[in-house]
Amino acid sequence: MTDVPHLWRVSSSIFMAALLAMSSIGCNVVRMTLNTTLTQDDVAFIVPGTTTLTDVIKKLGSPDSITDSDTAVVATYRFLDLRYSRVNFGYLAKPWTPVDPDVIFSRTGLGVDAFEVLCDRKWVVLHTGFQRHLSRPPFLIPYPFQRSRRLLPNELPPFGLPAIMAAHGSGDIRSSVPSPH
Amino acid sequence: MKRGGALISFLVVALLLQGCAFSRGTLGDDVPPEIVETIQKGTTTKEEVFRLLGAPDRLLPLNGRDLFQYYRYDAKAASLLLIVLNFTRLSVKSDDLFIIVNRDGIVEDVLSSKRTENLEFKFWPF
Repeated sequence: MTDVPHLWRVSSSIFMAALLAMSSIGCNVVRMTLNTTLTQDDVAFIVPGTTTLTDVIKKLGSPDSITDSDTAVVATYRFLDLRYSRVNFGYLAKPWTPVDPDVIFSRTGLGVDAFEVLCDRKWVVLHTGFQRHLSRPPFLIPYPFQRSRRLLPNELPPFGLPAIMAAHGSGDIRSSVPSPH
Repeated sequence: MKRGGALISFLVVALLLQGCAFSRGTLGDDVPPEIVETIQKGTTTKEEVFRLLGAPDRLLPLNGRDLFQYYRYDAKAASLLLIVLNFTRLSVKSDDLFIIVNRDGIVEDVLSSKRTENLEFKFWPF
C-alpha cells in the first residue's frame, strides 16, 4: 500500500525545489568591494585633539588621498560595497520560442563612501566624518520600480558632516567622538 | 594504474572547477617595502626618492610642502557560473605610499601601508 503522507512530502519537496529553481532562472548576483568598509566602530578609537594621523594609519592603513585645505590637511579613506542583482524572466519562455526573449529586471546602487580625517599641521586629528553616497537596494530583490527611500536615522552615520567642511567652517561642527563626560 | 588515478583526479578537479572564472587586474607598480624602509625622515632627499621609486603617480602641494603619492591597485574577481544562477564577487584594494617633502627638499614624513596583501579570491557575494 502506498504511504500517502510520504508521497505527499516527496512531491511537495520536488515542487518546492522546482519553484525555487524557476525563481532563480537567469539570476545574476554581483558584489563589488573597494577596500574595507569602515564603520563607526572601526573609527571609534580616534579621539580628536589627541590621536595623530600615524595612529590612524596604524589601524586603518594609509588613506587613499591626502588633500590640502585652507587650514589643515584632509586624509580620505574611500570604500565601496556595491551590490547588483539581475533576473531575466525571458529564460522562462526560452523552451517555447525560437528567439531568445529578454525581460530583465536589475537593481544596483552607485557611489563611493568615504571617511575623512581632518588633521592640523602637526598631523593631530581635529575632526572626522563619514560621507555616504551609496544607496543600498535590497540585495536579492532586483525590482527597479520601487521608490528610492531615504535612509532611516539609525542607518545614517552619526555625524553626516564631511570633515572637509569643518576646515571651511561650514555647518554645525561637532566632535566626531562623543565626549566621555 | 598510476596514470588512471591521475586521470581520474584531473577529471574530478576539472569537473569541480567547471563554471568557475578567475580574473585579476592590477594598476601601477608594486612598491617593495624594503625600498620604503630605506627612505629616512629628515635625511633622504627628494632626488633620492625619485631615484628609488621613480616619478610619483600624483604630486600635490600640502601646506607649503610637496606630497608625493605612489599607488597600486589590485583587483581579484571570481565567478561561479551555473548557467541559470551566476555569482560574481570583485574585490579591489590599493597600496598607497605618501611621501611628504619639505621646502628644503628633505623627506619629512612617510605614510604607507599594504592593503593588497590580504586580498583573496571570493565567490560568495552574500
